[in-house]
Amino acid sequence: MDANNNMTINHAEKKRGSWRSSPLLWLIPLIAVLAFVFVYPIFQIVRLSFTDANLIDADFDYTINSYIRLFTLPGFYQMLSTTSFFVFFSVVFQLICGFFISLLIVQGEKFKIKGTVIVRTAVLVAWAVPGVIIGIIWNTMYNETDSGIFNYILSFIGMGPQPFLSDPLLSLLSVTIANIWRGTAFSMILIYAGLQTLPSDVIEAARIDGANAIQRLTRVILPILSPILLINLIIISIDTFNTFDMVMALTGGGPGRSTEVISLSIYNSIFNKFNMGEGTATAVVLLFINVMMTMVYLKVLGRKDK
Amino acid sequence: MPLKKTNIMIKGSLYFSYTVILICFLFPLFWVVSLSLKNRQEIFAAPPRLIPKEIAFSNYAHVLQNTSVVQYLFNSGKIVIATVLLTLAIAIPAAFALSRLTFRWKREFLLIILMTQMISAVVVSVPLYRFFSQVGVLNNFYVLVIVYAAVVLPFSTWFLKGYLDTIPNDLDEAAIIDGCNRWQTLRKVIFPVSVPGVASVTILIAVQSWSQFVVPFILLDDSRLYPVSVGIVNLQSTQTSVTTHYLAAGSVLSILPVIILFVLLQRYIISALTSGAVKG
Repeated sequence: MDANNNMTINHAEKKRGSWRSSPLLWLIPLIAVLAFVFVYPIFQIVRLSFTDANLIDADFDYTINSYIRLFTLPGFYQMLSTTSFFVFFSVVFQLICGFFISLLIVQGEKFKIKGTVIVRTAVLVAWAVPGVIIGIIWNTMYNETDSGIFNYILSFIGMGPQPFLSDPLLSLLSVTIANIWRGTAFSMILIYAGLQTLPSDVIEAARIDGANAIQRLTRVILPILSPILLINLIIISIDTFNTFDMVMALTGGGPGRSTEVISLSIYNSIFNKFNMGEGTATAVVLLFINVMMTMVYLKVLGRKDK
Repeated sequence: MPLKKTNIMIKGSLYFSYTVILICFLFPLFWVVSLSLKNRQEIFAAPPRLIPKEIAFSNYAHVLQNTSVVQYLFNSGKIVIATVLLTLAIAIPAAFALSRLTFRWKREFLLIILMTQMISAVVVSVPLYRFFSQVGVLNNFYVLVIVYAAVVLPFSTWFLKGYLDTIPNDLDEAAIIDGCNRWQTLRKVIFPVSVPGVASVTILIAVQSWSQFVVPFILLDDSRLYPVSVGIVNLQSTQTSVTTHYLAAGSVLSILPVIILFVLLQRYIISALTSGAVKG
């Protein structure tokens, strides 16, 4: 249909003898900005990772020492597993929470009960709050002294004071929970959009055929939603791999390096340890993760188009 | 069970789950507001109090007078407005071409735009920092805005292209027959009918740019230019002068603009996000 319409326009243009349409003029500003901010830096970071350059000087020699050093550092694998934990649990629970909240909102809308708009807005506000502010707020809630609110709440169920931010393992869990709070809104809105497009007659038919609520959910709704869930999964995985601001403000990567996720590690190597080689090599690892996940994403999108 | 009774049960359990969700999502915001209104003793009170005994509005006065939060807010506003304008100026023509013209490599071009969206801002900011410091444009407002715009351009272009695709081609045809060229068609015919789409994407750009942290954190080292996201982290790290209640007051001030925008425009934001989402 698109091609048809374009043909008629081209036809009309030819009839009037107007200029032939070249897309270049329209796209040049976009191409220029993206080339400057993405293509050039990507090329540069890959190049820098194979050098002994530092942050300021223009001179350097080529070497692969940064990679050799990086891949033999035990800290590197520790950082990767920290990142994997953070990404895996963030993504899984954002998806689950987002799914159930959107389902509850759609149910509420069906029964025309009040409050759906308030719930929707409340969840979305979490998404709009800047990551650093989220980090600061959760940092105050995780306060480990007697004036900390989470420890106060836990004291009612006899779980005593917890070292939320000073215990290496628990701090990673604390950061992940804060991130789930932050990211659930995005999954909710995507799944909510998907639920709007669900054909209600199909669900009605399943109901008439005697499927109960759980069967309708697992056999009808989930399969129809699965492309959207998959796309959602990939987008939030990439986003979570790139998380920097919230963790920076919440723990700064500590205690030790126990919550140092990959983008924080890049920043710390370059700007705090002044180790350009280690930092840029880690950046290339993150770039590789970004590209791999994008490939999967494009593959899924291509399948959805067909 | 009679239908009426099940309905009441369903409604009851929905209200119950809504309450739980609301508490989970609003409590952190409530907590920071509460902290921002406590005085020094109550900050350290054990057990903590949900609502301060004495409401200390003076914390806000202190933050406004003794820190640069007002400056940060002003900087953020300036950056966000410039970013929105620059992004729209670039994305609208590009989206028009991607929606209306047929050319080779169009699909590939669209996919490359999508790919840039996935690249971590930390990864690109490091070489940019190095480059900017070599040519001496670190702390340059205009250069900073270009980087801000680049971060939001991929999704803005995709979003606007998707929106323009929903506007029937008949309009273009009529305009061309009336003697408009492509540029006039966009300006006089297509742009006026795509105002809702442009408004939606404007909100999304504004929210994203207000939250942007990595880019200014790495590319700015002059604290007079800091947007509020970097400014607040700066306040947090200088903890000798700023204690928790002041930090909380600063945080509340910095999210207030977004929250007000959100509550006022939530209907449009939802439709902006859902229409963007369905397009993928």
